[in-house]
Amino acid sequence: MVVLETVINATWEHIVLVYTTLFVSIIVSIPLAFGAVYSKKLEFVIMKFANLVQAVPSFAVVAIMVPFLGIGFTPAVVAIMLRALLPIIKNTYIGLSNIDPALIDYAEGVGLSQWQIHRYIRLPNAYPAMFAGIKFAGILANSIAVLTAFIGSGGLGEIIFQGLIGYNTSTLLAGAIPAIMLAILIDTTFTILEKKVTPGHSSE
Amino acid sequence: MLSIQAIANVWERNLMTMRTIEHLHMFSIALLLSIIIGVSVGIFIYMKPKTANPVLNFLNIVETIPDLALIVLLLPILKLGAGPTIAACVLYSILPIARNTYTGLKNVDEQYTYVAQAIGLSPREALLKVRIPMSLPLIAGGIRIALVFCMGVVTLGGLVAAGGLGTVLQNGIQLYQKDAILVAGLWTGLLAVLLDGFAGLIEKKLHERYGTW
Amino acid sequence: MQTERLFDRIDSIQLKGITKKYGEGFAVKDLDLEVIGGELLILIGPSGSGKTTTLRMINRMIEQDEGSVTINGIDTKNVDPVRLRRNIGYVIQNIGLFPHMTIGENIGLVPKLEGWNKKEIEERVKTLLEFVSLPPDMFMNRYPKQLSGGQQQRVGLARAMAMDPPLFLMDEPFGALDPILRKQLQKEFLKIKNEINRTIVFVTHDIEEALVLGDRIAIMDQGELVQVGPPEELIFNPANELVADIVDNQRKFKHMDTLKVKDLMSPFEDKYVLQAKTEACDAVDEMTKRDLETAFVFDEDALLGQVEIVDLMKCRHREEKLSELAKPIKTFQPMDSVAFALSEMKNSGEYLAIVMNSKHPVGILVSDEVLLKLI
Ligand SMILES: Nc1ncnc2c1ncn2[C@@H]1O[C@H](COP(=O)(O)OP(=O)(O)OP(=O)(O)O)[C@@H](O)[C@H]1O
Ligand SMILES: [Mg+2]
Repeated sequence: MVVLETVINATWEHIVLVYTTLFVSIIVSIPLAFGAVYSKKLEFVIMKFANLVQAVPSFAVVAIMVPFLGIGFTPAVVAIMLRALLPIIKNTYIGLSNIDPALIDYAEGVGLSQWQIHRYIRLPNAYPAMFAGIKFAGILANSIAVLTAFIGSGGLGEIIFQGLIGYNTSTLLAGAIPAIMLAILIDTTFTILEKKVTPGHSSE
Repeated sequence: MLSIQAIANVWERNLMTMRTIEHLHMFSIALLLSIIIGVSVGIFIYMKPKTANPVLNFLNIVETIPDLALIVLLLPILKLGAGPTIAACVLYSILPIARNTYTGLKNVDEQYTYVAQAIGLSPREALLKVRIPMSLPLIAGGIRIALVFCMGVVTLGGLVAAGGLGTVLQNGIQLYQKDAILVAGLWTGLLAVLLDGFAGLIEKKLHERYGTW
Repeated sequence: MQTERLFDRIDSIQLKGITKKYGEGFAVKDLDLEVIGGELLILIGPSGSGKTTTLRMINRMIEQDEGSVTINGIDTKNVDPVRLRRNIGYVIQNIGLFPHMTIGENIGLVPKLEGWNKKEIEERVKTLLEFVSLPPDMFMNRYPKQLSGGQQQRVGLARAMAMDPPLFLMDEPFGALDPILRKQLQKEFLKIKNEINRTIVFVTHDIEEALVLGDRIAIMDQGELVQVGPPEELIFNPANELVADIVDNQRKFKHMDTLKVKDLMSPFEDKYVLQAKTEACDAVDEMTKRDLETAFVFDEDALLGQVEIVDLMKCRHREEKLSELAKPIKTFQPMDSVAFALSEMKNSGEYLAIVMNSKHPVGILVSDEVLLKLI
């Protein structure tokens, strides 16, 4: 049997793991996405790599961390990032590049600097796509974080694996149900955020 | 790096030929079921448009559930073995296939469905001869997404005694055998990437053959 | 699904008081119209006047709110719509050939659904392709996108003829083609029409087309029928301003005695030119690409004559050059009188001529059947 405290602790570990990874992923993704807007080569590499990695099973990605980084929190973060980075970069890039060139011309015309154009025009225009990418990455991260418990990251997966050893249904559910609830929480919060940053929904 | 000999040893020791066959076996059953159910659901919600939103919303929620958690939820019902893994694959795969089927059927250019009606095709014939064939490229796109999902979930099967290449990964991690992890990890990844690439090729062919110009 | 044949020939179609409303507006309002068996009836009128709606109420693609459509005395309400439509050929402007089927499969689709066997279907497809002047061996296994617009239009016609229907509904079938190609297909269509002798209801925007093809013309405006009658009647006794405007918008029929060739010709374009040394097969590809039925053969700057794609496809001698295949073509001067030019063309049975300004081609003259009728 699991006690409530264990579940709460594991949930907290889980949240820390997911949001740390998500945060780092966002920080890394945005410069890369801007880079892709400027360099066709970088864009090509990112898109190819994105599609390739997306096809590799998560468990294989998690497992391959072990020979290189051992077990624990860090290999878990790297494994999750490998999967979570790409949807964010891809979507941010699409958002950044899908902008009316006339708008940029106009901004240059009224004397905005390159940095101002990025900050006040390109980036806000990319928000909806970007947030959709972050939502997707968050759900993915939450899902893989369950798995990384197998390489010692802690979190809700640990309870599930305990349950699997003795095949104890209530232990299994004690791990699975909070993980599902977290997924739905991520989905709803980011859906709301996504709507907030989408023009035409901002008034809500 | 690993020598050919070392790879062969790891392969032998971990019965990887058998594991690969198990892996692909589970995968094929799962994908086949997904296609049958996914396309049927897609056609159903197309024919009963009122059901489309509720069904797609429900499937969207299923989609957010962590894969391992979904398998675990199915364990008490389907017991250990390949059952829960295959069922989880199917549950994930219905959405992309059904959604693409539905979108494809709905978005067939009006001029074709109009002509189909005008030359005297019954609604059923128009569906079978015009709408479905013209949606094939999109349906194939959905199947390709499902294929990637299934590969991922089937690999998890190793953790719930379903066999397959996940078992090798699981043993490798538990016994901390780096060579086994590496060989099985890369092989599993390669297999998935190859199948995805192959599916991509078929999708492209279908686009050329059935896509509108 | 196998369906019984509803009627072998049309005696008469009666539209009685048919009305179709969309929201508050009338698409068609209390329309009475008879289609006489064997005739080609044109529906013409401004955009949005209800032509397409009227046509679609005949084959029940649209159900009228009020009134009735009877064919040979049978109310179409009492006929299964699928069965009704299989007895009616339908051709539309954008043709709608199914892109995923070959030309053969497109034409043979309904026969296949009717349960014909492979051999019967193939034979039917071949007959129909030949009928619309497309060599079957060359076209049966191609996909629609490999055909030019004019060729696709022929296939569309062949598909409509698949079940040998006694009635055709055509909604601007030549509307998307360029003017000269349109004239050529009209010309051919007229031949086909006389051969198959079927009842046809034909919607168009093009008054020339209406006057050339129509046995009778029905003019519609704002969902109502304004006037119906043979071309001459509309030209000489228009019921109101609108009819007069539509029928003779350039007032050319009233002044035809002073009309010159230059008033009637279409401008000459480089795309009609092929060089004498071109080989027949290359010419076919080139003409398909340029969407031409007829091209003019020049040796450098000298006009040799004309070639038609249909003839080029028939002759299988790969190496033959256009210089050997070109047929003579009449030439006129811009200031020649139209009456003279048209009667010359009629006498020699040609429908195309080139207008030369000294040595340079400046225009193409297409014989105008309407004017000929009136001359
Ligand atoms: N499905 C529809 N819903 C609402 N209004 C319609 C619909 N179909 C046709 N209408 C309206 O009915 C009127 C007649 O349309 P119809 O298509 O019959 O005109 P038409 O004479 O064929 O025009 P065109 O020459 O442009 O093809 C138009 O005002 C049109 O806007
Ligand atoms: Mg119309």
